[in-house]
Amino acid sequence: MHNSKIPSSVLKSVQKPGRYIGGEYNSVIKDKNKVKCRFAFAFPDTYEIGMSNLGVRILYDTINAHKNIWCERVYAPWTDMQEKMRQYEIPLTAQESGDPLSAFDMVAFSLQYELCYTTALAMIKMAGFPLLSKDRGEDTPIIVGGGPCVYNPEPIADFFDLINIGEGEEVLLEICDLYIKMKEEGSYSRAAFLREASHIEGVYIPSLYDVTYNDDGTIKEYKPLYEDVPTKIRKRIVADMDKAPYPEKLVMPYIETVHDRIVLEVYRGCIRGCRFCQAGMVYRPIREKSPETLCKQAKCLFDNTGYDEISLISLSISDYSELPKLTDDLLSWTDEAHVSLSLPSLRIDSFSEELMQKVSSVRTGGITFAPEAGTQRLRDVINKNVTEEDLMRSVGIAFRGGKSNIKLYFMNGLPTETLDDIKGIAELATKVVGEYFKLPKPERPKGIGVTISVSCFVPKPFTPFQWEKQDSYELLMEKQAYLRDCITDRRVRYTYHEAKVSFIEAVLARGDRRLAPAILYAVENGAIFDAWDEYFDYDRWISAFEACGIDPAFYTTRGFGLDEILPWDIIDIGVTKAFLRRERDKAYKGETTPSCAEKCSGCGANKLGGKNRWCK
Amino acid sequence: MVQVDANSKIALRIKFKKTGKLQYISHLDLVRTMHKIIIRAKLPIWYTEGFNPKPKMVFAAPLSIGTESFSEFMDVRLTERIDTAEAMRALNANMTDEMQVTEAYYPETKFTEMRWLSYTMLIKTDNADKSLAEACDNVLNSEKIEVLKNTKSGEALVDIKPLIRSASAVLDGENIRISAVLSSDPSTFLNPEYVIKALREKVGIISNPDCTKEGYSIIRENSFFEDMSAFK
Repeated sequence: MHNSKIPSSVLKSVQKPGRYIGGEYNSVIKDKNKVKCRFAFAFPDTYEIGMSNLGVRILYDTINAHKNIWCERVYAPWTDMQEKMRQYEIPLTAQESGDPLSAFDMVAFSLQYELCYTTALAMIKMAGFPLLSKDRGEDTPIIVGGGPCVYNPEPIADFFDLINIGEGEEVLLEICDLYIKMKEEGSYSRAAFLREASHIEGVYIPSLYDVTYNDDGTIKEYKPLYEDVPTKIRKRIVADMDKAPYPEKLVMPYIETVHDRIVLEVYRGCIRGCRFCQAGMVYRPIREKSPETLCKQAKCLFDNTGYDEISLISLSISDYSELPKLTDDLLSWTDEAHVSLSLPSLRIDSFSEELMQKVSSVRTGGITFAPEAGTQRLRDVINKNVTEEDLMRSVGIAFRGGKSNIKLYFMNGLPTETLDDIKGIAELATKVVGEYFKLPKPERPKGIGVTISVSCFVPKPFTPFQWEKQDSYELLMEKQAYLRDCITDRRVRYTYHEAKVSFIEAVLARGDRRLAPAILYAVENGAIFDAWDEYFDYDRWISAFEACGIDPAFYTTRGFGLDEILPWDIIDIGVTKAFLRRERDKAYKGETTPSCAEKCSGCGANKLGGKNRWCK
Repeated sequence: MVQVDANSKIALRIKFKKTGKLQYISHLDLVRTMHKIIIRAKLPIWYTEGFNPKPKMVFAAPLSIGTESFSEFMDVRLTERIDTAEAMRALNANMTDEMQVTEAYYPETKFTEMRWLSYTMLIKTDNADKSLAEACDNVLNSEKIEVLKNTKSGEALVDIKPLIRSASAVLDGENIRISAVLSSDPSTFLNPEYVIKALREKVGIISNPDCTKEGYSIIRENSFFEDMSAFK
């Protein structure tokens, strides 16, 4: 056994030692001898990123409200610390107790982006556990996966013992309760527990399924190994957001984190149906909190944290049906308390002078909008439902309000995209600059700058575009070069995502169980922090695919047949495949679909229940 | 409680400790942390005027990462005079055990009057014995102690002896214990790490490359005026 506490001389020799010390105000300490289940909540990225994640904050609080369970946090040590840990045989430890992960009953990973898979596996390795579920013995904690990535759990199915599909507030407690009960009854064994857990709605036990393939490599069948194991796993949701648990306290980091502020989750789901957007589909049905609940939560969090900023979080904040009441109620005390409000995710079609004044913060000179595509034709294909007019009106308001830096988000490689659409991106940016010069000179804020930030489209599971081909790397490079040539205004700055990263992201997002050996190969060859440019290694991934006989094009540029069994068909997110198919067909016809607030389009998510004003 | 004009300069001084794991928190992070603590404690904070109002907090002699302290000072500007015992209670309820206020009062001095800081350093090193302690003591009490120091014009050999008011080394169990009083004046501030550095270079302590076997801790104990009376 190693000493689990990190020696001070090691802490003195690494960057940002504050990442590793725990002891934060509001962190939860329990007597480990008095709890019945020790739960490690692991975030496969740095402390600064993990501490900012809202899901982890909610679940940490929810699980710790249970007196029999102690939930602690675990983050990925940065590479300098990893080196010391290897050198001095220091195992991965939890923030609160400093105990190694082997002391826990369950270790749950929050998987927020596909490029964190290798970090999660590297952490399992640092903890000293076997990477493959089948190799784990009775002494190893149950390794749980959850978060938005696991809506397609298949690429990581071999590494996780249990996967939580959907929102975790209720189901994680049910899993722990079952664990405690079986331990107390003496009926616990890994196999017996996993089998029993498979009966909980929202729980997927990958090892209880057999997958067969056709000669052409497509999936033939998913077959549960036993009759009592469900053939499809339906995601879990929290029905009533006003009654859902929400933290009253936040663990206060000593060092600066990415989102170092109060985050107030206003609603879940989205009334829009952007056809590329996975979040917009998998978080359905929409469920709002009342302004009363939100104000109570905001005040309570302010009192317990001392943060001077509240960020209102949702997929599209201006779609919140009671936004004026909420902001007015908040402003009734926030100004005096020197607390500012921030609203990320503002839509172009609902941005107003009034809204900007409410959130106007002198700390930032910039504002971001997401038209996503350069022409109306393509914006209709993706169902973005905003117009050029909306954008010009919004940037006009922003300029008059003193914002001089406008950032615009776009995507390359969307279905049906042509060179005209790409050229449209440059033209739109130029028109935004033009809008600035339309203002009389004294009204213009100083130093105009327009940045267009272009990512590469990744056809995500559970979207109307899930069957689409991803553009090849070469084509994406050509498109990026073409756009660069189209930009003639020197006030327009152009940044773009590395297409190679999007290619690997697509493989990991769209893959099936046969990817596991390649992911394992990458991890065994040092892959970690793929989401960090400086650690992403494309060539290592390519050698991993080659070594394991995997053709990445099968999952990306091939596209999926409309009648094919998709790797994620084992999961039921509520929204039906038939709806996604209808939306795909409309996309090709350039037809838009109204938002849930205007008209129900019959997506199917209503069958999950959930209290809201739109679904029948 | 007396109501006073918001522009008047009521500074509340707190003396606090920053110990244990909090030695790894940088000064900048301490400032951010303290900002939230005073808000949580609901002190009647005075905010600066202008576009971006901020509380006014001033710290004496910033501490470097890796040093614990029982003698940190901060002045925070208030809009009204409040009961100091109550302020101390409210602040401590909003801090963890490793950071606690030990005194709160309305000051009559300036931080610039602070002149000396005392430190205890414990050095864990191979073969710590009486003769090694004596060798350390001899270095600390020699005429000149030259070490490579980062200065404004790059690295230079600097004599730190004039910045040391007193220093001694003794054997303490398996460790060497150094007690030193070093300059806290901003222009001649001496980081205690340089004392360790000098001993490393001149006596060869902490030469084992395995940093889990050897190491040191530094604790700031007290703060003083020029005449060595306790700073207040």
